[in-house]
Amino acid sequence: MKIALAQISPKLGDIDQNFRMHIDYIQKAKKKNVDLLIFPELSLTGYTLKDMVEEIALDPHTDPLFKKLKGLSREISFVVGFVEEKEKGLLVNSAAFFSQGKISHIHRKIYLPTYGMFEELKFFGQGKNFHTFPTPFGKAGMLICYDFLHISSSYLLFVGGSELIIAISAAPGRGFSDDEGYASARMWELMGEAVSRFFQSFVIYCNRVGFEDGKSFAGGSFIYNPGGQLVAKSPYVDEDFLVKNIDLEEIRRFRKYRPYRRDEKPEVTLEAFKRIVAKYED
Amino acid sequence: MKINPAFAEKLLTRFIKEELSKFHFTKGILGLSGGLDSTVCTHLAIRALGPKNVIVLIMPYKNTYGRDVQDATDIAHRLKLKSHVIDISPMVDAYYTKHPTDNRILKGNKMARERMSILYDFSEREKALILGTSNKTELLLGYGTIHGDMACALNPLGDLYKTQIRQLARHLKIPEKILKKKPTAGLWTGQTDEGELGLSYAKIDKILYQLADLRKSKKEVISEGFPKQDVEKIIGLIKGSEFKRHLPSIPKISARTVGHDFLYPYDRDR
Repeated sequence: MKIALAQISPKLGDIDQNFRMHIDYIQKAKKKNVDLLIFPELSLTGYTLKDMVEEIALDPHTDPLFKKLKGLSREISFVVGFVEEKEKGLLVNSAAFFSQGKISHIHRKIYLPTYGMFEELKFFGQGKNFHTFPTPFGKAGMLICYDFLHISSSYLLFVGGSELIIAISAAPGRGFSDDEGYASARMWELMGEAVSRFFQSFVIYCNRVGFEDGKSFAGGSFIYNPGGQLVAKSPYVDEDFLVKNIDLEEIRRFRKYRPYRRDEKPEVTLEAFKRIVAKYED
Repeated sequence: MKINPAFAEKLLTRFIKEELSKFHFTKGILGLSGGLDSTVCTHLAIRALGPKNVIVLIMPYKNTYGRDVQDATDIAHRLKLKSHVIDISPMVDAYYTKHPTDNRILKGNKMARERMSILYDFSEREKALILGTSNKTELLLGYGTIHGDMACALNPLGDLYKTQIRQLARHLKIPEKILKKKPTAGLWTGQTDEGELGLSYAKIDKILYQLADLRKSKKEVISEGFPKQDVEKIIGLIKGSEFKRHLPSIPKISARTVGHDFLYPYDRDR
């Protein structure tokens, strides 16, 4: 199958302009016979929204722009990031998987970074579940940015049978590095490599670029195959449109070679968790 | 929109007093134009610090202020304040003889920054902290000169709309003469805020209150019966002036960056 990553720089708070940019990328991807196109976290809105969150939230089931996106997804599947009004006044940071003319799944970000430069819990409600869901390319699971840095998130998708783990991100770069790009890039790549290798899924990470209030989104989107091998990578900091063929047969091949999936014992983990959590004290 | 002026007075006086003492200052200094905001701020400063600890600078440009200079001088005299009248014409004109312009906004901004520069100089000379006089209406609309009249060490009136300052002024028994004046930034002779903004403060504040305090959307405010063009104009001014309400952006490179994740309270170690 053919995957494309749109490493874009959305315009902060301008949903109409971002929507047009999405359409352009969808058309561009269609021309290249892409099967699945991934946009980064909050791709329709920009990241540093603060109080704009409440002005820009939409209901995916009734919003006219989403109706158009559903129509476009008859020919190509894609993942879009947006602010969702889940209930009246309950705003969440969401990712929608569009395919075959409908929304196959919406993931609501669970881990909202609120430390240092981040203040997401001030503005967003939290999601509650990690689901895998069927797609034309196999079972997939979605994560948003900081979700991906909690290994349990990917573990739950793995146990849920994921074959594609799609992590969309608006990750600012932090720290000097001897290598090109920010020091923080290593953190994402390490997680990508580990998750893909030990949870035997393709890991598709799409980050954004551009500046918002001085935060520099680091780019460096990537795809790892289920054997932990880097398949493709976008440059740091610059916009990019990365198109890559991946071989879904590799999932079977790597799982035959090292049957982590077959040998995983979620019931043991579950019982252990029950014991450990029961003893939790503050 | 209605405030309890006695409570506002108590809170703001307390703020001025506490803020100065945290920075180990006993004296406050401010520019007194003879208009409502600076007069109210002067009165609050006197209640907080005592008349001996309040210094006012009256800084006319040629005859732009005219009557206002006299009013300001009268206020300073009546309240027994240390005051200096400093004519900014020579400095401003010296610049504009070399770089002439007919643009009144440019000149107004230059004057505001000239006054700022003098205030900071006197702040150091007198060991007095600068009290700003920007109100909530101006801050939201961006109706002020960045690094000019917006520059200060503390801004006591920053959360009161112009019309609320008027309520406070009545409570403080500010002379009717000052209350009746048409608000002006003194950018040029005959300039009035309401004339320049094209809307009265009464109208502006009502709309701002709906948008900012009650968090209503543009659509909601218009459906309340406020004219669409007024609401849109005000939203435009708010959006266009966001930069005036922030420190400049610093591009994040390192692991810890000023303004991003090097986070300490303003009152650190005070």
